[in-house]
Amino acid sequence: MQNLPAIVAAGRTRFGEHYEKEPEKLIEEAWLKASIEANLERKDIEACYLSDYFLPITNKLGLEEGFLSELTELHVPMEVTRSFSSALSNACNAIIAGRHDVVLVGGIEKMTDRWDKIRDDLMLLEDPWSFYAGCTPEANHELMLRAYIKKYGLKGENLEKLNIALAQVSVNNHLHATKNEFAQYQRKITLENVLNARKEARKPLGLYDFAPISDGAATIILSSDKTAKRLTAKPVYVLGFSSATDFLTFPARDDLTHFIVTRIATKNALKAAGLSLRDLQLAELYDQSTVMEMVSLEDMGFCEPGKAWKSIYESCQEYQGYYEIDGRQLFVNMNGGLKADGNPLGATGGAQIFEVFRQLRGEAGERQVKSDKGLKHGCVLELEGFGTKGYVYVLGSDKN
Amino acid sequence: MSSEPIERRVSYLGDRLRVTRCQICGKEYFEIRDYCGNCGRKSFGKMLDTDLFYEKGKLEVCTLVNEPTNKFTKLGGYFYGIVSFHEGKIRVPGRVTDHIVKCDEEIDFSTLEGRPVTPRFRRRYSVDKSDIIPTISLTFTFADEYYPHQDHSLLKPSKEYDIAGIVGYGCYSSRFRINEGSMQRAIPFVDEDAITAAVEAGKLALIHSGVNNSHIGKIYVGSESNPYAVKPIASKVAQVLRLGEEDEEDDVQGVDAVDTEFACKAATSVFKDAVSLVNYSKSNVDNAMVIGTDNSQSAPRDCPGGELDMFVGYGAAAFIFGKNDVIAEVEGWYSCTSDTPDFWRRDGEPFPMHGGRFTGDPAYFKHVRKAAKKLMERLRLQVDDVDYFVAHQPNAQFPVKVAKELGFKEEQYLPSLQVVKFGNTYSGASPVGLAAVLDVAKPDSRILVASYGSGAGSDAYSLLTTSQILDKRPRQKLTVKYQAENPFLEYVDYTTYRRLKIGM
Repeated sequence: MQNLPAIVAAGRTRFGEHYEKEPEKLIEEAWLKASIEANLERKDIEACYLSDYFLPITNKLGLEEGFLSELTELHVPMEVTRSFSSALSNACNAIIAGRHDVVLVGGIEKMTDRWDKIRDDLMLLEDPWSFYAGCTPEANHELMLRAYIKKYGLKGENLEKLNIALAQVSVNNHLHATKNEFAQYQRKITLENVLNARKEARKPLGLYDFAPISDGAATIILSSDKTAKRLTAKPVYVLGFSSATDFLTFPARDDLTHFIVTRIATKNALKAAGLSLRDLQLAELYDQSTVMEMVSLEDMGFCEPGKAWKSIYESCQEYQGYYEIDGRQLFVNMNGGLKADGNPLGATGGAQIFEVFRQLRGEAGERQVKSDKGLKHGCVLELEGFGTKGYVYVLGSDKN
Repeated sequence: MSSEPIERRVSYLGDRLRVTRCQICGKEYFEIRDYCGNCGRKSFGKMLDTDLFYEKGKLEVCTLVNEPTNKFTKLGGYFYGIVSFHEGKIRVPGRVTDHIVKCDEEIDFSTLEGRPVTPRFRRRYSVDKSDIIPTISLTFTFADEYYPHQDHSLLKPSKEYDIAGIVGYGCYSSRFRINEGSMQRAIPFVDEDAITAAVEAGKLALIHSGVNNSHIGKIYVGSESNPYAVKPIASKVAQVLRLGEEDEEDDVQGVDAVDTEFACKAATSVFKDAVSLVNYSKSNVDNAMVIGTDNSQSAPRDCPGGELDMFVGYGAAAFIFGKNDVIAEVEGWYSCTSDTPDFWRRDGEPFPMHGGRFTGDPAYFKHVRKAAKKLMERLRLQVDDVDYFVAHQPNAQFPVKVAKELGFKEEQYLPSLQVVKFGNTYSGASPVGLAAVLDVAKPDSRILVASYGSGAGSDAYSLLTTSQILDKRPRQKLTVKYQAENPFLEYVDYTTYRRLKIGM
């Protein structure tokens, strides 16, 4: 029988600016927390799957594995990919195949070390032709919103509600982050803050609609389900995962209003897990912008295309900490999302997994989700670039 | 330091907006592709290389960029969006250029979306002064504003002339002006320079002439504001306009491209070379293009050389010479030269200097007078035999004074006097004047051109228009008058003028 990958421990740093720390120090901090939780020593690790989106650019670090080897004095296989989710995919595959039994998955980013050039780097890597034409990391989100408004013919009162719903996404995420000790922004913001920032910018989205740039690291320890029982009483299982890929050039894609990668990856991940969307009570979405959170609700299938803004708007009339969609509760971005928790690209997915891991184990403290039926399943969506890659993980506290 | 190979590849695709179309399913790609994603292997050899250079697009969606990435900061704020071509078959990212976003401007994206746009060839973004200048045509202007979209169609040659001459021309200036005293002067937008104006004028000349770009065997570009000390503008023009023969095997144009420099007569000097070349039966050159282009340089007003700051303009004019379907035959010419240092710019200096002592006489007047007189003598022309007189126009006074001295009347010299609309466009100055005359001249009119270049010299030409000048006139909407009196002209203050002038 195949092995089932299980998360046995997770650790992370606070996200934000860590100008005083070397990148290696951040991952060391995250690793120490996870290893203490699992009561593991370095020598127990059989392989490391790491991710950073652009440390070679921000910190001129090539061969990140070498730095980690020096730090841990380990000589095991180490591989670096761009996102935490891609590292986790590789780790899961290794566990499933029986090649390794206990591995470290870690993500790290140090964006503020290159704060003056980071937006250029982000944009050029995300979509070179759009960069050459003058695009910014924010502009593609705004164009997606413009295309969305046009496609669904939103105007007047509906357009007003859409704009408020999007602002509310940001307000909610900031609210959630006040209960997250690791979040970059642990403070509330108001609807007016979001709307005024847009007004000031004179464009569809403003400062409060976008995730910040951040430094940070996150790690998890992944093992086979058999070994997991030795390491923890409450493993969280990776029941299904999948990824998909789309064109780099956003304008060249068929649909400017949705991310096809999310649709494909969600479908396949659920199929692998043998679950349906209804089984998921908790979702960590990739809200690089408020639009991305809204669109992702549709792309994953929680809302119908063109309708998510309505559900968000109505849920936020008296926000109870979750979106109410067709009479069901869906808890979204309980850690504050990328918006308030922070978005150190290579580590972001780690923080998302961390959150679902804590929630499913009932260890999320003040922000612990209380579900009538008991919280059993959660999912994580991580994107790379502007929807160029999409990864979906379905996690569960039971093996099914 | 930029990477030349990356620069080369991005420019190669982006300057011309090269596109590949699958001839089986019709799918289009903004890149050079050997096969189609839909049709797979069976599409090998069935992909058609084409481009969007002369096409009209539609701005699908847009937003405002007010915090650009570092390389775009000199543009200030700008609209950015997605442009579709061919009923949405192909979409590209695009920046709206030639628009200064004002702080009190009411912005409603829905009024911009859906409008027709024309691709424009511009600088891509700022780089270090020592770097290769990046260019691109993913920059667009609204086709219902200053710069209309014009169809590009080739004309089959119908008549061969004994005497070679001009077969088509184009004049380009930007939509920005500064209005001071009795003069309006054209100013480049931030992303424009002598190179972009040259390409633009050449494009307009191709549209007007209907000449097949692959039949142009030689391109001369005259300028004194080439942003490069070493590297021709002409090579850029040749590649973007796809001049000369092309082989399937490589990306090298079968054209001779060269830059010329002699202050303001860099372009007019080689009219005769172009005419001679197309007239020489063994040259294998059917057509030759000459462009005069300048983002006329001047030091700021209060600095040495700053007196020019009241006069400098921006613009280019391009002329295609040949023997088929000539609109103006070149009857003859006379050139003269003396080593008179009236205006110069040392290597490495950003702005030219101007002694002052020689400017009028013995520099401008002596040479222009001599070239014009000698040519008239040689061709046995009287003042009345000339319908239009075009002189180099550094300001509004000099060309009038020399015209009067030569005996010309207002109706002969006024149509060419464009300096009050565009400023002194240096290498483009007498060429723009000539273009203005060609825009209005009747058949069988004689045009006498006398250029001037500091340093110093003058070239005089006599041109005789043919009946085909009328046939080709409807092919050009962007005439000199259209650009001078356009309702979409934007007037800016001195501070903005200097910012635009210095550019990216």
